[in-house]
Amino acid sequence: MLQKVFSVKNNGFIVSNAVALIIIGGTKYLFQRFYDVPGVLVFSEFVIIPMLMGIVSIWYWRNIVTTKRQLTLWALANTFIACVLSAVFLKEGIICLIIVSPLLFAFILIGQVVGKAMFNRNNQTLNTSVFVMLFGIFIYDSLSVHHYENMVADTITVNAPPAEVWKYVVAYKRIEKKSDYWLFRIGMSSPVQSTAEGYYLGAKRKCIFSNGYVFDEKIVTYDENKDLTFDITNQPRDPEIMGHIDILRGQFLLKDNGNGTTTLTGNSWYRLYVFPVWYYDIWAESVTRNVHLRVMEHIKELAEAK
Amino acid sequence: MFKFIIRYFGFLKFVPGLALVFDAFLVLWTLMTNPALLDHMDALEKKVLSWPNTTSTIHKYGGLQLNYGKKELGHIHGNGLLDMLLNRKLKAYVMGNDSKIKDHHSFKDSGWISFYIKDECDKQVALNLFNLAYQWHVNKG
Repeated sequence: MLQKVFSVKNNGFIVSNAVALIIIGGTKYLFQRFYDVPGVLVFSEFVIIPMLMGIVSIWYWRNIVTTKRQLTLWALANTFIACVLSAVFLKEGIICLIIVSPLLFAFILIGQVVGKAMFNRNNQTLNTSVFVMLFGIFIYDSLSVHHYENMVADTITVNAPPAEVWKYVVAYKRIEKKSDYWLFRIGMSSPVQSTAEGYYLGAKRKCIFSNGYVFDEKIVTYDENKDLTFDITNQPRDPEIMGHIDILRGQFLLKDNGNGTTTLTGNSWYRLYVFPVWYYDIWAESVTRNVHLRVMEHIKELAEAK
Repeated sequence: MFKFIIRYFGFLKFVPGLALVFDAFLVLWTLMTNPALLDHMDALEKKVLSWPNTTSTIHKYGGLQLNYGKKELGHIHGNGLLDMLLNRKLKAYVMGNDSKIKDHHSFKDSGWISFYIKDECDKQVALNLFNLAYQWHVNKG
């Protein structure tokens, strides 16, 4: 029975995932223990570790995997197992795992190809050097400072004057319309309502999402019919967001076009805690843009209905 | 799609690792749409590696690279696109013999050629091309 479970094939999956979990879990624990912060998910965790998983797995499979087809299928299977384990042990959200899975798959496959080349040559000096280099990059990357902030801006034209638009910028009633954005359709929460305790500087505002989570906000600029800027004072403890992204500030700018229409601009500032930026910022920008458009389209609809 | 990405996003290949990621997705796409192509690539690799002094490596922009000594014979991307550097005379010869062999998808005015491997017949053409490149490099010394 045990021999069946720990077959050469299964060992490739089991050991590679165990190594990854130990390294990621260990890093998380050490950051929590010594720095009292959850830590940043550095690029190594999505690049070096999946590569390492690929190399470790191919070490077990070096005599049984002979074709690219098999290699690719097993890389897919290993990606799936890694995602399930991340959901169970690291409490990652499903949407996050959907976002991360292409990156995991690619680097697991690259690791397998690298590993295959390494073990075919059977050069111990080369193999040791590769492991030492990967380990060195991981340590250096983990201890480096990672800070990335970005701002996303979107603009639409509303066929109503600024005073009419302003009424719905500060607070708006529930959005009933279904979103067309694929991530919202498969379960990512989207903004549905905004409430404010008043129309004045310093007023507290709440942005309510479809899963019931609430972003607490405070109005920091209140320039009627022109500029509403608010800081996010408290983020929901959603596993899809926590430790991945902080929304820092939001802003609506209204520009009177002088012909009864208004140019409405939505700006959001955020900080990313997941790297590499070249991958995750594409997603962050896309999600932020679709949050903007969902709210701004709703405001447009309400303002133009009057 | 591949041509579109190469044309408009080709500059991103200089981001470390990105081309390798892209090629991994090409392999996944091939697995879903034409899995036999992966077997053809395996067969090509096996055959070329049976020739003396040949090795396989990962191409810097993704894909399987086959070499003679330290010289590249050619590389095959995950979608079966074979790129090979020949001299102008050999390039004109092979392009004159087979209309499916084209100028390289990026470096048109050079000795590079591109050829899409899709089926068994294409595999044979690709093998002939590798053989030609191999003989050329062997004769050059």
